[in-house]
Amino acid sequence: MARYLKLYLWFWAQRLKVLLEYPGSTLIGLFCQILTQIPGILAIWVVIRQVPGLGGWNYNEVLLIYGLLTVSMGLSFVFGQNLWFIGNGYIRPGSFDRLLLKPIDPLFMLVVEYFSWSGMGDALMGAVVTGKALLALNIMWSPLKVLALLLSVGSGTAIFIAVFLIGSVSAFWIINSIPVTALFYMTHIFARYPLSIYPRGVLLLVTWLLPYGFASYYPASYLLGKEAGTLVWAGPLVAATLLFIGYRVWLFGLRHYASTGS
Amino acid sequence: MIQTLRRNVSAYNALVTLVPKLYLVYQSVFWIQFLLQFVSMIVLVYFWRAVYLGQATLGGLNLRQTLNYMLLVQWILPLLDNGLILHFGDWLREGKLAIELLRPLDFQSQNFVREQTDMFFFLLQKLPLLIVAWLVFGLQLPADPMRWVAFVVSMLLGKAILFFFQWIFACLAFYTTDVSGFYHALNAAAVFLSGALVPMAMMPGWLQRVAYSFPFAQAVSVPVSLLSGIIPLTDLPRIWLIQVVWLIGLAGVSRLVFRIAIRKVTFQGG
Repeated sequence: MARYLKLYLWFWAQRLKVLLEYPGSTLIGLFCQILTQIPGILAIWVVIRQVPGLGGWNYNEVLLIYGLLTVSMGLSFVFGQNLWFIGNGYIRPGSFDRLLLKPIDPLFMLVVEYFSWSGMGDALMGAVVTGKALLALNIMWSPLKVLALLLSVGSGTAIFIAVFLIGSVSAFWIINSIPVTALFYMTHIFARYPLSIYPRGVLLLVTWLLPYGFASYYPASYLLGKEAGTLVWAGPLVAATLLFIGYRVWLFGLRHYASTGS
Repeated sequence: MIQTLRRNVSAYNALVTLVPKLYLVYQSVFWIQFLLQFVSMIVLVYFWRAVYLGQATLGGLNLRQTLNYMLLVQWILPLLDNGLILHFGDWLREGKLAIELLRPLDFQSQNFVREQTDMFFFLLQKLPLLIVAWLVFGLQLPADPMRWVAFVVSMLLGKAILFFFQWIFACLAFYTTDVSGFYHALNAAAVFLSGALVPMAMMPGWLQRVAYSFPFAQAVSVPVSLLSGIIPLTDLPRIWLIQVVWLIGLAGVSRLVFRIAIRKVTFQGG
């Protein structure tokens, strides 16, 4: 375990060296990624300020949901983006065999080979929006609320990564796993807005099946003292369960791996 | 003269027939995209329903008009995707640009023909989405054939305008080889400034002016507003005039920019 931690930090250091090698390109990439978040926020700004609210949530409350989701989404790309590329980047060209020959866990190796810098842009923008909303909302802070906020960012990120992991396993059969991962991933857009605006089916989907609600709607509800908020404490459990399922599915897929033989 | 014309027509024809073949290769990708867009549609329908709970109109539009507009936008939205800069970047890095430039057809024209055909098949392929929007989400399509004509013409013009704008932008690739950041930033800006996230009428005045000073709205907001009946047909002459001015202006500038930017290119062996 300690060895893996040390390796993890070492791979991070290597990645940072690469990023610092081309500081201009790195900064432009980060800046452009921050820009990509602006339209969605601007749309909320334009629309929600003109109306009393969205399903009983006012402008700043909607921003809080949106911001929290964006933080988790961004961080999940920072730490787990390579899971998207297992098919096209590893299995197709035959380099997945290389991972299997390393003296460490192949999943670990896959994840640490690339950390997405652009995800950091999303996370930063999400943090700014979350911070803005929290300041405007005059929340009565308590240690429990701080804990809930931190836990929800952690479990939200883990939920996204678990989804990437489950999607990536399809690569063992269909090589290009990106469409499958994208389909699971895109469901997160439901959780950009209060889940109360959707029919019950969507609420159940985003709570129990692809539980992005734990990254946005439930923590925001808890911080604002809304009814659905108590579910926030289920977040870490849901995330851990999903990661566990993801890992089992991964092991199952790995047993069915047949090299492309190139 | 006639022979040159015939040669050109057959060459462009070959480009045109290539596009549907490309589309047919990626069937599974198509169906996944279809599902993704279906998810987006569900989100936007419930979002707008919730927005309109408190009021009858927003920016002069009622819920029905807004939903019609937004659902139609979903049909033509991916047209905004600016693949040209990625092509330029790829061609440069792989040294293929030299070959592209050597082809005995005008470089810009062949790209133009390919992109326009691309759009045609793209819309055809996305028809199921329109049918789903009609069946599931109550999209109302106009019965007046004149509206459809107006829509098709202004969309063709809009796509052409966008092509020349993207061409100018793609020339950035000649100055920096790392284009993916620009690509994502421009796509994001295009989605908002085209009126694809929020109808133009709902934006505050200053934002509308900013949005209209970019060409993106000409390809999305304008044709879709025509088809969904937000813009009356009596405005048509004015709309087409504006589009033609955009088109001629950007076409001229794009050729000029390309002539200057191409001097920057150094072919790396290849």
